[in-house]
Amino acid sequence: MNRSDALIEIDGIRKSFGDFQVLKGISLSVQKGEAVCIIGPSGSGKSTILRCINGLIPIDEGFIRVGDHRVHEMKNEKQMRPLRHQVAMVFQQYNLFPHRTALENIMMAPVQVLGHDRAEVEARARALLKKVRLSEKAGSYPGQLSGGQQQRVAIARALAMHPEVILFDEVTAALDPETVKEVLLTIRELVEDGLTCILVTHEMKFAREVSHRVCFTDRGLIVESAPPVELFDNPQDPRTREFLGQVL
Amino acid sequence: MDTLLSYEDKKRAVLIIIALFVVVWVALDAMAGGSVYWQRVLIRLPLLLTGEGSGWPITGGFVLNILLSLASMLLATLLGTFMGLATLAKSPLVRIPAFLIMNFLRNSPWLVLLFAMLYILPFQVRVFGFVIPFPPFVKAVIGLALPTAANFSEVIRGAVQSIHSGQWEAARSLGYTTSQIYRHVILPQALRRMIPGWMNLYALLMIATALATVTGIQDVLTILNTSLAMESERVIVYFYLTILFLFFAYCYPIALLARRLERAVKGDNL
Repeated sequence: MNRSDALIEIDGIRKSFGDFQVLKGISLSVQKGEAVCIIGPSGSGKSTILRCINGLIPIDEGFIRVGDHRVHEMKNEKQMRPLRHQVAMVFQQYNLFPHRTALENIMMAPVQVLGHDRAEVEARARALLKKVRLSEKAGSYPGQLSGGQQQRVAIARALAMHPEVILFDEVTAALDPETVKEVLLTIRELVEDGLTCILVTHEMKFAREVSHRVCFTDRGLIVESAPPVELFDNPQDPRTREFLGQVL
Repeated sequence: MDTLLSYEDKKRAVLIIIALFVVVWVALDAMAGGSVYWQRVLIRLPLLLTGEGSGWPITGGFVLNILLSLASMLLATLLGTFMGLATLAKSPLVRIPAFLIMNFLRNSPWLVLLFAMLYILPFQVRVFGFVIPFPPFVKAVIGLALPTAANFSEVIRGAVQSIHSGQWEAARSLGYTTSQIYRHVILPQALRRMIPGWMNLYALLMIATALATVTGIQDVLTILNTSLAMESERVIVYFYLTILFLFFAYCYPIALLARRLERAVKGDNL
């Protein structure tokens, strides 16, 4: 039984690392096809929220539902697996597997985890490489690719699992300014295709252009949540105003 | 002038000077009458290498040391892999005993372990009517394999833990199980990082095979000791120098290759 028809529903989650409480009651719901950006100062718990959604970090308290999966009720890795097939994640440090080529990186999980047919997966992987404009790099190893290229392969790897949701964790933070653009362009196309995305980002301009809703987090709480035009042009909370004053 | 030489150049220069010094010293000594003793060594060399005065068939000698080191390394690699993976296990029931055994073996003197195997292991075991004999050679293989396995398990643990935590995160978020993560993601990368440590360990093990003389096998030291009884006291030094050189000539290239691989593996990351 779901509380609402949202695809993702988060209610009052709390998480502490030792004595430090990172999340102090985060609530958020995301509709299918929605792109939600999470912005906020470093250490405000943005990345932790993402890792709680796909169960990489277990929460102390609260409710998380993704589709039919109740994440807060899952106690071990085994129960998380079906969830992880539906929730893909892209990381700041790309985290491609360095011993496999770009094409193999994309093919590995669908073949080894989902047990899909190899030939079918290869066709899908090549199509995805084309989508992220890296067809000619299929045989390259991650070490031979630029940061922006690696990140686009990582996005293709996430897409190959046919996820319901993709979580983007500061995916452009480690990139050169000139390669940021190509990665953001790829993400924008995914949002336009109707894929549900949750993005933690420092790219305010991008957040404003691409997202349907922006959440501002500070000290473990979502301070303000509104459509980008409202949040950026007419922030209600003084902390949001202060933060935006510093970064814009 | 010195500032023009790199650290590597200086190191090479020092090594060359040392090698030259040894060559000159040997040459001077030979001219001063040492060549007579070197001839004695040369006559005995086939015996020292193969355990037979004629050089064939092989019954012992330095070749036996090499065989011993290879057999021990094979056993140590198998045992060490199990032990290393056990020390990485999530369950404390597996991890803690493995950790204790590994530390016990790693911190025992190799010679003591050899003696212990000599007396603990039976002369033979009977399993389902089959008699499996435990000759001294097998005892030496096991005795040397135990500490080597413990050290290898540390090499494995170090290599696995040196893999960036992002690899775990990425694999977990793709829905891999823990054993799949090891098989497809962590071990293929860790394997490359293990090879230099594994080779260094082998060179160390080869040197330690000289200890196996206490088990009574016909290794190069045992043969040397029995044949020295017929030699003059002055010539003993020349025999021991020869043996030292044999071990050096076998082990140093391995250590060099290991260091080169280490340098090649360094830096491939993320």
